[in-house]
Amino acid sequence: MIFDINAYVGPYPFRALRTRTAAELVAHLDRNGIRRALVSSLPAVFYRDTHRGNEELWAEVAPFRARLVPVATVNPKYPGWERDLAEAVERWPARAVTLVPEHHGYTLEEPAGQAALRRIEAAGVPLLLTQRFEDRRQRHAWDRAEDLKVTSVYAAAQAFPRLRFVLSNWAGLDGAKLAEAGLRGRVLIDFARMQVLFREEVPKLIAALGVEAIAFGSHTPFDYIGGSLVKLANLDALGAAELERVAWRNAVEFLRIEA
Amino acid sequence: MPSRPASPTDRREFLRVAAASAGVWALAGRGAAGAAEPRPAAAADSGLPAGWRTMRKFDAHNHVFGLAPRPNADWAEVERLVAAAERLGIEKLCCSRPVTGGLMADIEVVRESNNAVLAAMKRYPRLIAGYCFVQPGNGAAALDEIDRCLDAGMIGVKLYNQFKYSDPVVFPIAEKCIARRALFLGHSAYLTDPRSLALQPKTSHALDFGALSRRYPELTLILGHINGGGDWEWAIRALRDFPNVLLDTSGSVLEDDTIGRCVRELGHRRVLFATDATMEGCVGKILSAELTAEQREDVFWRNLQRLLDRKPA
Repeated sequence: MIFDINAYVGPYPFRALRTRTAAELVAHLDRNGIRRALVSSLPAVFYRDTHRGNEELWAEVAPFRARLVPVATVNPKYPGWERDLAEAVERWPARAVTLVPEHHGYTLEEPAGQAALRRIEAAGVPLLLTQRFEDRRQRHAWDRAEDLKVTSVYAAAQAFPRLRFVLSNWAGLDGAKLAEAGLRGRVLIDFARMQVLFREEVPKLIAALGVEAIAFGSHTPFDYIGGSLVKLANLDALGAAELERVAWRNAVEFLRIEA
Repeated sequence: MPSRPASPTDRREFLRVAAASAGVWALAGRGAAGAAEPRPAAAADSGLPAGWRTMRKFDAHNHVFGLAPRPNADWAEVERLVAAAERLGIEKLCCSRPVTGGLMADIEVVRESNNAVLAAMKRYPRLIAGYCFVQPGNGAAALDEIDRCLDAGMIGVKLYNQFKYSDPVVFPIAEKCIARRALFLGHSAYLTDPRSLALQPKTSHALDFGALSRRYPELTLILGHINGGGDWEWAIRALRDFPNVLLDTSGSVLEDDTIGRCVRELGHRRVLFATDATMEGCVGKILSAELTAEQREDVFWRNLQRLLDRKPA
């Protein structure tokens, strides 16, 4: 089984994605041998009222709850976000929450970001941070978002020591520095933008943080899934049990959901 | 053919290379235990086409950075590249070593870079082929350098971003490539991000390639890394008007439908598989693309083989 922790539902304003609905995503996962996915809402990134995107996502994945695990998006700059977060975490219940500070116009370091981090830590769910949706060298004129900086992750990890992180679609991570920030045992990182062979970023992260820190991720539907499947195939030197951890078990355990 | 299904020997080699280069597997304390466990083939190859490792592949765009052509050269990076190619079933790596960072280097520096490629070709004669990096601004010395490198067995010329390819200073290079029947691989991007553009103001985009191709229709011109950063959709649309321009599929961007769009809009015979060191990702996107078996073979290796089969002058 493969569990993809880096997936999305919905249209994207700057490029025509071929897979947009939950039903299309499930069919796409089927074609690629992937059983389950952690999915975030792209409309929730771009709507002024983010929570409307959450509501749409929950309704859309309802027929596919055995396959798709939805992530709630929170915008701490919008009134009532605390209620939105509580509804998502306590009632639906969301197994992870994402913040998109670059798109919602704040930083994790400023009061709004700190307040969100504090609430998410108290809620006991992992915080999903996506470094970027697309490479900025091809950005649309209206796309002003910068890549998230890993220094923000270090600072958040140190300031909120019980907060757990899903780092999605990141490159350039230094496992030793993540460990120094106290993230060993409370971070799950997907390898969509990393290499197993040649640059060996994935083996280096495993060495620094343990195999339990790595999970399959493809950044679908933005990216082809094949690259991540090839990476998983080249982790076979780990052995069966640890390969299974990367393929799906780490995701299930970190998100505290049923296998 | 170096590629083959993974075996215990492969796993030991993988662990050895990883441990030797970074010590990471050894530090993780999982080397011996991992190698001793049975290979979970069903999980590991899930979702990939059968026989994907043994599909023949020629990488039309790669590099041998990190290597100085001296007796005490550090081959570690090249060895990791070679190990990755063997794991992925890549039989040929077409490599250059351009001078990057916005520099216009002296011809001695350029020769040193090409000597590194020649050293790699000598060490891995069946695997590594070479492109001769030149800067058109070096004038006659650049043309002499092309002759030196082609005479030593390189297959083509690689230009970086020192000059736009529509600049007349590039024309003698194009004419030399035509005369020697050498490939012309060019760094490319349609950069829409002002900061990136400021760092590479002379990077050529698809219309620059088009202008050069229109002037020299007999030139074998390859637009490098369609996914190397920049608006690839713009590039594909622009290339529709220039049927003599080929492209390679490399780059760190792995965006869905890039390969399908190239094939649908330009024809699969114009598309060359490459990685530019994004190894697994670039193999994976060809495997994921909706291609017929024949189209995939053409993209993976046969299109480049056809170019290499032409008799050199």
